[in-house]
Amino acid sequence: MAFQYLSQQWRDEAEKRLKTELPPERMNYVTSSMNNLYKNCPDGKDRFLYFKFEDGNFAEMLVGEGEPPKAEFVISGNYDVFAKITRGEMGAQRALMTMKLKLKGNMVKALKLASLADRLNKVLAGIPTEY
Amino acid sequence: MTSTSQDPYFIDFPQRIKSIQSEMQNQNINVYLGSRLRTLSWTTDAFCPWRSFIVIPVEGLPTVFSFVIDAARIADDSWLDEDHVMGFAPMGGQDQIEQISDFIKDNLNGGKGRIGIESGMSNYLPEGWLTHYEYEQFKAALSDCELINAHTIVDRLSLIKDEGTINRFKEASRIVDEGHKAVYAAIKNGGWKGMTETEIAGIAALGMRRAGSEWEWSFTGGNEIASGYRTGLAGGACTPASRREIQAGEPLMVDIHAMFKLALGDHSHNYLIAPATDRQWWHAQNFMAIVNKTLETYRAGITPSALAEQMMNFAEEKGFADYMVPGFEHGIGMMGDEWRIGLNDGPFPYWTNPDHAYQENEVIICAMQYACPEDSIGFRYENPIVFHKDHCEALSKYPLEIKEI
Repeated sequence: MAFQYLSQQWRDEAEKRLKTELPPERMNYVTSSMNNLYKNCPDGKDRFLYFKFEDGNFAEMLVGEGEPPKAEFVISGNYDVFAKITRGEMGAQRALMTMKLKLKGNMVKALKLASLADRLNKVLAGIPTEY
Repeated sequence: MTSTSQDPYFIDFPQRIKSIQSEMQNQNINVYLGSRLRTLSWTTDAFCPWRSFIVIPVEGLPTVFSFVIDAARIADDSWLDEDHVMGFAPMGGQDQIEQISDFIKDNLNGGKGRIGIESGMSNYLPEGWLTHYEYEQFKAALSDCELINAHTIVDRLSLIKDEGTINRFKEASRIVDEGHKAVYAAIKNGGWKGMTETEIAGIAALGMRRAGSEWEWSFTGGNEIASGYRTGLAGGACTPASRREIQAGEPLMVDIHAMFKLALGDHSHNYLIAPATDRQWWHAQNFMAIVNKTLETYRAGITPSALAEQMMNFAEEKGFADYMVPGFEHGIGMMGDEWRIGLNDGPFPYWTNPDHAYQENEVIICAMQYACPEDSIGFRYENPIVFHKDHCEALSKYPLEIKEI
């Protein structure tokens, strides 16, 4: 069974996998939050995907439209770019270095979290997904 | 790193920021965008060798922006926490123009306001003025803002040195003196034989590092060592050490630099390598006479032009005016401030105002260059001095003499 990307079902599956596959020690007991802002989704809308970790524990994940919750980091870009990253067709770092994605937030802290973001993306990439 | 007011080297950096903010309010400036190395040192207490900026809002803490590879170290060294030291990098949303302009817009009501920038010129290469490209990019990114030149705010506030700054300069000078001791120990009793200028520079560096120096900070080549004809190059006040070997019968100039908590030690000492001729000693005596005369004359109230006139008259009377460079000082402050004296208010923009009247607790480098190219001889004096009401205080205590070794 494949889940529609950014649907409620996809979110629920992502939460289940993140909780089981990324225990606090794998997330370096980090406390942080991140918003992915998806522009130009296939239906023409913009969406957000919000993650929050507290002491390395998965705390919250939201998918939605409109104003997202405040987050320590905001990554924005086109839906297609995020989809390529989730499918493993493009690295997040390359997307940032070629300005396909934009990051807002403290870059020094972001550097410390880069490997954690990669782990998170790998878990999401494992979800059977329709784009 | 933090220090308390009990620390002799304590500087009240939050108060410095408040003083800038007060002046910003007076001039209706909403954000100050500092880019000069001297501004960064004076406000952050951290050495910022990569392109860096400080954004000072009209209230609250400033935020530093530097190359991402060095931002964590700057946060560790400075009094600011890691939330107020940001790193920029060539990534979407993270380049310096977008990151800083977004940050400034977030600090302005409706993204509109007056932004103070630092624009000008300097003989000192790493000054850090906003470049034309940066100016154009910020102007475009902050299109609803007015960019105005405001560096005089920092120049005026940093002119008079506080106690902690002067104590840091004293310690930097004490360290320089240790460097001179190390050099003398190495070159005396024929130890100079076979040595090169670069080796002497290294001996000084080791001596000073052992005494706590952070860096041989001078952009003129670290420790400047000159021997033989290189000491007497006309107007030659810049002599990065070369691979030239020290020779008998030649002069040797040892101009070394230490840094302590961003305060700068800078003292030049001179030798004659035996056997010295009478003519060489005549030059040496002239040089020491004018150094002593200059140190006796410096005091609050005197101006660079008045001092130079008196000293050149003295040199003329004694018959060695032809060998004097007619300048007796250069500016000094925390790292990055090594050029103009006082404010940018002289007849030639961004050069020292010859009529600047020194005030108590100003610090400059008392600097003299004596050069006689035809005799292949020259001497240099540099020493940080603090101005007092009726005298100046030389911070390096290494004895003024020219030894024949």
